[in-house]
Amino acid sequence: MSIVKLSNNGVKNATALGSISSLGSMIFIKKLTASSSATLSFVDGSSDVTLDNSYKEYLFTFNNIHPETNTAKFTFQGNAAGGSGYDETITSTFHYAYHDEADSEAGVSYYGGGDQAQGTAFQRFSSGGVGNGNDECTSGYLHLFNPSDTTFVTHFISRNSTYQDNNSVNDNYVAGYFNTTSAIDEIQFKFDSGDIDAGDICLYGIL
Amino acid sequence: MPRYHNINGNRVQFTSEEETARDAEEKAVADAAPARALANLRSKRNRLLAETDYCALSDVTLSDDMKTYRKDLRDLPAGKDTVDKCNNATWPTKP
Repeated sequence: MSIVKLSNNGVKNATALGSISSLGSMIFIKKLTASSSATLSFVDGSSDVTLDNSYKEYLFTFNNIHPETNTAKFTFQGNAAGGSGYDETITSTFHYAYHDEADSEAGVSYYGGGDQAQGTAFQRFSSGGVGNGNDECTSGYLHLFNPSDTTFVTHFISRNSTYQDNNSVNDNYVAGYFNTTSAIDEIQFKFDSGDIDAGDICLYGIL
Repeated sequence: MPRYHNINGNRVQFTSEEETARDAEEKAVADAAPARALANLRSKRNRLLAETDYCALSDVTLSDDMKTYRKDLRDLPAGKDTVDKCNNATWPTKP
């Protein structure tokens, strides 16, 4: 196979391009919009929601998630197929960078208050609480890897930018695994206190 | 006021058991708020102390101003038993 070097002129003057096949795809599955919702849940198997072995990786994007209650922490948990609730065993890590609007504080820190060691609590996305001022919210993403696998644990990673209640930004990194070899087929999001006033979460499958 | 799930886009009202469980969950979060605020205050205090640790090394003479600053930092958590007290703490000025 020959290698063709492309230049700006070459691309501009091209009259035909070959097709590329077998690339991966990110497939939109479902969007949930909060409206004073206590929880947002994606459950495999109904209302066009797929969270099974159709994809090796799933991506949740959460946009402008706004809490009813000031300082509430945005969280998530999974439920295994046949499980009794959102209480899977999680081991996770948590670190973050922060910087306030007054430019008086900035830094990077591991956050022991946000990690879990074989815990079953909802996993926090942010170290600080999200402000409930009209323009305050959190946005980010959560990757879920091969949740239907029944040989290995199910890993996740998340990164988000959070407008904290004390007028600072938190750049949060969360990673971990559901320590179960059962398939995870349900994911629920909620604040640790109060409703999700507004915002949306989209689910994509990645081939 | 009843709470609602949004499950796959469908609005589903909490059951009475779910309401009770959520009430307990939110109460626990609220009850722990002073402790969380104090932990945050201690975290910042510890960071500020660490920034001046080098001043307290045995081969460095600690100035009186720095002694006072570091003592004020160490004493700061005392009596901070509410979220407001923690959030409105008066931080000493670094000399």
